[in-house]
Amino acid sequence: MTRARRRWLPALLLPLALAIAVVLGSVQAGASVSLPPKSAEEILAMIARTQVRALSGTVEQNAGLGLPELPASGPGAAPGAASALEFLTGSHTARVYVDGPLKARLQILDQMAERDVVINGAEVWLYNSKDNSATHLTVPTPSLAELKDALPTKPTPGMFASDMPATEMPEPDIPRQDVPTPEALASRFLAAVDASTEVTVAEASSVAGRSVYSLVLNPRSDETLVDSVTIDVDSETGLPLGVEVRAKGQAEPAYSLAYTQLDLSKPDAALFDFTPPQGATVIEKVLPARPVPSMTQPSTPEPDAPASDAPAPDATTPDAPAPEDQLTPGHGSRTHGATVTSEGWGSVIALPAGSAPAELTSNPQLSQALQAVDGGRALTTSLLSVLILDDGRVYAGMVPLERLQSAAAAQ
Amino acid sequence: MLSAKANGPTREGAVRPGLGWALLGSELAVLFRRLRTWAMLIALAAVPILIAVAVKLSSRPTAPGRGPLFLDRITQNGLFVAVTALVVCVPLFLPFTVGVVAGDTIAGEANLGTLRYLLIAPAGRIRLLLVKYAGAVAFCLAATATVAASGALAGVVLFPVGPVTLLSGDTISVGESSLRSLLIAAYITVSLLGLSAIGLLISTFTDVPVGAMAATVVLSVVSQVLDNLPQLEWLHPWLFSHHWLSFADLLRQPISWTSFGENALLQAGYIAVCGALAYAKFSNKDVLS
Repeated sequence: MTRARRRWLPALLLPLALAIAVVLGSVQAGASVSLPPKSAEEILAMIARTQVRALSGTVEQNAGLGLPELPASGPGAAPGAASALEFLTGSHTARVYVDGPLKARLQILDQMAERDVVINGAEVWLYNSKDNSATHLTVPTPSLAELKDALPTKPTPGMFASDMPATEMPEPDIPRQDVPTPEALASRFLAAVDASTEVTVAEASSVAGRSVYSLVLNPRSDETLVDSVTIDVDSETGLPLGVEVRAKGQAEPAYSLAYTQLDLSKPDAALFDFTPPQGATVIEKVLPARPVPSMTQPSTPEPDAPASDAPAPDATTPDAPAPEDQLTPGHGSRTHGATVTSEGWGSVIALPAGSAPAELTSNPQLSQALQAVDGGRALTTSLLSVLILDDGRVYAGMVPLERLQSAAAAQ
Repeated sequence: MLSAKANGPTREGAVRPGLGWALLGSELAVLFRRLRTWAMLIALAAVPILIAVAVKLSSRPTAPGRGPLFLDRITQNGLFVAVTALVVCVPLFLPFTVGVVAGDTIAGEANLGTLRYLLIAPAGRIRLLLVKYAGAVAFCLAATATVAASGALAGVVLFPVGPVTLLSGDTISVGESSLRSLLIAAYITVSLLGLSAIGLLISTFTDVPVGAMAATVVLSVVSQVLDNLPQLEWLHPWLFSHHWLSFADLLRQPISWTSFGENALLQAGYIAVCGALAYAKFSNKDVLS
């Protein structure tokens, strides 16, 4: 029977060899890279000096905030506010193309579907393949900077950015600050660095096949839920390639956004010329120059959207811009009415009465995620808390719920 | 072990290099002359035709976002029929037919009592396995091409044809869209290779072809069910059906090749492991019938 045994040998060796190859591959991906050592200040200076003007890449976002996963599609999928919440659970993949200061394209790659944001100068197109609908936003040129803040499909960084004291943050006039790149997110967190933040350098590693320096921001304040923020900075260009946020009392990273592929060459110019496909529902919108976007108005249907053109009830503009901005207003002190209390990591954003859209409380799935508290409802995650009071006031921050409640009580 | 003794695979390979091709030719001829093969291909061809006719006859326009991918756009552009039909066929119909063919490979011959005659011819067991697998692969290709071709034909006949809208919202010409359809057909063929290898492996373990067919089809369903359980997320990238529906990545602008590569690599892994196991089992098998 030795011959028979020998015949089983390849059947055993081959899976073994494959397993070894897989393990080696994953070890190599996580292996530390040797780079000339740099201090935290030098790395910060690298980020500030970065000269990258054009890129195309794939970013992957993972959120483990302890929220139940909401179905992103299928019969249980909730429109509107839930699609904003969608980015707080599970993982998403998107492709990002940036060319110069005024052209950018974001493609959120869903299963068998895609959501696109195409920014080309003063023109912005939103497209959703699920219902074949397109929204055309035109902005008077001077207010481009405002538009960026209002961009609805600014899923993740926006949400967290909102919790950052973005008041003094310099806003470079380029659209790539609006597409959810690790760079945009990193700049929001870096803006929060203050005297109480400990900035250290961790071991170099590699992201998207490029060697990176790892900068660790450690807020020493115990007011915040953030344990640490790790920013991976490309050793060649100084471009932030990945951001990982850890929450207190949770072993797994609460949130991460990083490139899985990155190409620093100029993307094809045709990518930024968007023509809505034949048969698509097109909604035209002209954004006023000031005050900032009508989109921040809660739950009001857009008056300039002709009713006849309106698609099925559950299919308004892609991603239903409004609720996300309500949940966590992405515009810091610029949003009318929103106020930022306290400084640094423990800051709380407050929206005045009437800000909470009815959708937030009427949607059954959302009500499931929301817990009832004294005088309202609250969304608590390992990283982020939102308090919606019955009178419509909304408080949000990367702080424990008690802080939001005391902030609400103080007013 | 008697029959195994005379058939050292390497020896025959050196002596009769042309035999493999002759064997492959006869295997393909037998496969595609079978009534069962034709019945399955005709059933597959009927799927896009059914979809197209149903959409044509229905008076109400399909609401966007309802039903399988692109169903609402068929009336505007017939070229979407093929894609919609492939979306419908990938989860069940295609794995079912491929399972039947792959499960039948060795067990069917054993059941008919023809396996020993195949092995008496100095073909070698490795070569016989390879030829059988090649036959199953040819069927995968034929099945996918049948759905795509019949879909394209039904679409062109029943609906207007024009530039095609991709998932990204960009529009491509008819010529480029047929190129993408070919790519999708290639993607789905590759997707089914792992399942074929599993079918071949199961087929070497039994002399009852129906059992091997059923086991293969059941495995394809189980794999897809597991792929939908969020609790088993760590397992998902290793399931052979994990990338089956990711052919939609070929409908983006620019094409995302990531899933094509990952899928090909995964299927290659399944082919290697199942092939090695099938070889081990089959070369030790006592062929009595």
